[in-house]
Amino acid sequence: MLVAHPQASAADAAVISALRDGDEIAFTRLVDQHHAALRRIARLFVSSSAVADEVVQETWLAVVRGVWAFQGRSSLRTWILRILINRAKTRAQREGRTVPLADGRIAETAGAPSSGAGGSAFSPDLDLTQDPVNGRGSPLFDPDPSPEAAVLVREARAHLRAAIDALPANQRTVITMRDLEGYSSEEVCNVLGLTGTNQRVLLHRARSGVRARVAGYFRKK
Amino acid sequence: MSCSELADAVSAYLEGELDAVERDRFDAHIRGCPGCRLLVAQSQAMIGALRGLEEADDDDVDGDDAPRGPIGPEKERLVALFHEHGFHRRAHRDPGIPLGLDGALAAPGDHLAYFWESEQEFEATVGFVAAGAAQGETCVLLGHEGVNDRIEAASNRAGLDTATLRREGRLHFASGTRSPGALLEILGAQIELAVDRGAPLVRILGNLGWGRPDWPDESDLLRFESRVTNAVRKLPVIVMCAYDVRRLSGSVLLLAGLECHPLTYRRGALRSNELYVPAEKFLGALPPDAGSDEEGPTK
Repeated sequence: MLVAHPQASAADAAVISALRDGDEIAFTRLVDQHHAALRRIARLFVSSSAVADEVVQETWLAVVRGVWAFQGRSSLRTWILRILINRAKTRAQREGRTVPLADGRIAETAGAPSSGAGGSAFSPDLDLTQDPVNGRGSPLFDPDPSPEAAVLVREARAHLRAAIDALPANQRTVITMRDLEGYSSEEVCNVLGLTGTNQRVLLHRARSGVRARVAGYFRKK
Repeated sequence: MSCSELADAVSAYLEGELDAVERDRFDAHIRGCPGCRLLVAQSQAMIGALRGLEEADDDDVDGDDAPRGPIGPEKERLVALFHEHGFHRRAHRDPGIPLGLDGALAAPGDHLAYFWESEQEFEATVGFVAAGAAQGETCVLLGHEGVNDRIEAASNRAGLDTATLRREGRLHFASGTRSPGALLEILGAQIELAVDRGAPLVRILGNLGWGRPDWPDESDLLRFESRVTNAVRKLPVIVMCAYDVRRLSGSVLLLAGLECHPLTYRRGALRSNELYVPAEKFLGALPPDAGSDEEGPTK
């Protein structure tokens, strides 16, 4: 699922053909696969969850209509994502918001700790693989945490979340799509119109920024 | 490789994007540097923690009745949308898309004739382009020499930033060719490209070169117009063909304008057109084909 498909696969072709035939089960399966991720990605571009929901609804409408013209030059997943980002950007422009990556460049640097200056990027105290309190395996990786551990997990997640939210929009968009949603670098470059280099720079800055921020939290513990 | 060089290369390293030489230098450095080894472990752990964070957030808010995923009514709404707007079950037009002219609503798959006689009416077709631009759609101006430029100039006067739209690949210009088949192919390719790039809808504004030397002759253009209706019927496309009633002949206005378009726009209203003749019948009644290219449906 996390592998990039430069072109529509045979499985995609079957889904496309089923959608054209009006196969409701194929459609609901597609919705189940993508809906939640689409909502989260839409949220990167627009001001509220309600607007993001509208953008996702418009995306499904465009999929339903466009499936007759879609020729499978990209994977179905990439195509749906492209529609979503197109809708979300249009919506954000109408809202008068600054659209992340509107021109494919990476001008902003404010708020992003640049990485690696003489080793300051890493924090000797931080090891997310270890429980910061007890020094055992981190609850973040425990599939079945105890109630206390679950609280810790939630707290750790909240800090990661806050660290991501604090990033400049371009970096937030790239790290969310790459590291949180698991899209490949090809897909992200493709749908956001970024060069490979720009995508790498943004991802690197974003990761360094998040690491620097969560390090502060874990050190305090 | 220094510690700071290594820090800059961590992402690329973890992505497997370093070439063999760089990777060896990287590995050699971390073998001898506990600090950088920790940095790599931290980065790896952080990326691991990020994966799935969004689903976890959704799970957390779930308890607070926040909506997630398409469940219950939301899913039903989407299924209804699928059947209502999908072309598979659609017996009727599905209007709801602003045409950009006096509040008229068009449907995907529409092919309409726009009759104009004043400069003002001609320039009003900019509204069709602007409405698409505002919705993130892609517009194709299929027109004869000069007319596309006039529309672009009028668009700019109306405040539309055509340079940006062109750069973003959301505004295309297509001119005539001698062959009506090639003309349909150009349109088909433009539509597929736009849809592939994520356009929710494609608008085509036609100003065909009737009687112009670099365009198909009249009977071939009639064949083209007649075929467009079926070609776009099941596509997320609206085609509006502008007809200059002062300059075009009566036969072009009747045969092309009125008999090839299921819909007309005139005097502020989009109307279904009772003079429309389906392609099968229309093409059969044309005089024998004088050596134009292939027949038959294009889609």
